[in-house]
Amino acid sequence: MTTELGIAVVNGVFRGSVYALVALGIVLIYRASGVFNFAQAEFGTTGLFAAYIGIELWQWPYWLGLLFGLAAAVAMGLATERLVINPLRNSSRVTLLVGTAGVALAAIGIQFWQSNEQPIRSMPKLVEGVAFQPFGAAITYQHLITFVVLIVVALALAVFFRSPSGLAIQAAQQEGTAAELVGISVRRVSMMTWGIAALLGGLAGVLSGPNLTFTAGFLTFGAGAALLPGFMAAVLGGMKSMPGALFGGLLVGVIEQFGNLSILSDVSGGGAMMLFLFLLVVLLLRPQGLFVRKAVAA
Amino acid sequence: MALLEVSDLVVGYDAFPVLHGINFTVEEGELCVLLGLNGAGKTTTVSSVAGLVKTRSGSVVFDGKDLGRRSPSARVAGGISLSPEGRRVFPRLSVKQNLRLGAWTRRRQSKAVQRQLDLVYDYFPRLGEREGQLAGTLSGGEQQMLAVGRALMSRPKLLLIDEASLGLSPTVARTVWEVTSRIKQDGTTVLMVEQNAGALPFADRALIMEKGTLVYTGVGDELRAVNLREAYLGA
Ligand SMILES: Nc1ncnc2c1ncn2[C@@H]1O[C@H](COP(=O)(O)OP(=O)(O)O)[C@@H](O)[C@H]1O
Ligand SMILES: [Mg+2]
Repeated sequence: MTTELGIAVVNGVFRGSVYALVALGIVLIYRASGVFNFAQAEFGTTGLFAAYIGIELWQWPYWLGLLFGLAAAVAMGLATERLVINPLRNSSRVTLLVGTAGVALAAIGIQFWQSNEQPIRSMPKLVEGVAFQPFGAAITYQHLITFVVLIVVALALAVFFRSPSGLAIQAAQQEGTAAELVGISVRRVSMMTWGIAALLGGLAGVLSGPNLTFTAGFLTFGAGAALLPGFMAAVLGGMKSMPGALFGGLLVGVIEQFGNLSILSDVSGGGAMMLFLFLLVVLLLRPQGLFVRKAVAA
Repeated sequence: MALLEVSDLVVGYDAFPVLHGINFTVEEGELCVLLGLNGAGKTTTVSSVAGLVKTRSGSVVFDGKDLGRRSPSARVAGGISLSPEGRRVFPRLSVKQNLRLGAWTRRRQSKAVQRQLDLVYDYFPRLGEREGQLAGTLSGGEQQMLAVGRALMSRPKLLLIDEASLGLSPTVARTVWEVTSRIKQDGTTVLMVEQNAGALPFADRALIMEKGTLVYTGVGDELRAVNLREAYLGA
């Protein structure tokens, strides 16, 4: 039983890294534009598809394909900001929400069209093989790299948000008018935020894609679905907290793995059930989220 | 030549004109107060000078240049700074971070920014004492000081202050006005918006606004004597 729990925790932490990356992007955008970004996971699938095209179809070196994938994700994020978010900035949040869902659907449509010839795809891992086996859980190099990238990205974000540009982003999020008045371009800040969030999504995509075979909509509803777990992670973390999103992501990964415990072996969809139960209990007991001390007065 | 010259300014939100073609000037080196009841159009006036609201017609000439449709950002860089109604400090940033962001357009001149920060702390010692505190946790008076201090950080030629006294105790309001008067003596031209006639003794000149038009312009002394106060300010 202990070994089994150990395996679940280890597996969960590493698989949760992808959720944490997605959740960080969701929180960033929620703080900036006040909207649940339904397209967050599609930044990932789009990045993954672009990387696949570079590496598999055009035979580029792996690193170049990855860069291409990340660039495609960022381009999609910037385009979303320019073409959907900015024109709708005075509309209701529901309209914005529908707008981001539209972006996701459009991206998935393009992916289906693009992958018509070969709908099920796969690409090699960054490094093949198993890195280590705590409790007998096989942690691949790919999982290890994903986890390390997550930590590095989280630290980089923490440093960035204390830099002048990061402070300007925070200022624009907290008091848009006042930010405009001191000369911060709220428009540039919005672009920057969507670009960073899309980069996080892209990383989730290019790092998780090689774990499995993938199809259009891979990170939204496919085998590598990370959108719903990412949302849950963000909500657990209080929607506005970056550390909350990080730990929320890892926690969601772990709880999902608990569904694989042998005592639940008769229950199909045990992982998803555990997750929803846990989320429900947390929201009842701590509606402000797990990692937020108290609701801070706005 | 006046530092600020507003001519035939018409501003409206949606269909309704709020300012019906107002004319006034602010001379270099003076402290001017714009008085009027709630809804008279004072905030709309200073917001259009700062570039936050679009003008329908008329012109705003600052330092000899027509500002046209210039962005708020370009106006701060050009020397106009507004401490907005309702303070609007960045609540989850510290006092010092708020102030440093006030110097956003000059952020690369770190020495000059530091000097300006020291000057603001000299005007408002409370801010210096609380420089590490989150702005959202300051008292109303301290937040108002922070809003004025932040506006000063860009070293404006013209400082606009919208209703500093709103919601403050008479003593704290006096403190803010006294500092404003010092800021003027140190060479910054100030246009402050007030509903509270208590600001009059600090001003060199007063403009009185009613329902989107200016109904009186004169020196403060004159106004104190006349019964205009009763007529227009209900005080
Ligand atoms: N954003 C806005 N949209 C529509 N009407 C507005 C807006 N801001 C102000 N008004 C209207 O313009 C008029 C003048 O308002 P304002 O400039 O805020 O006056 P004051 O600052 O003197 O109280 C008021 O009738 C107010 O209702
Ligand atoms: Mg007002």
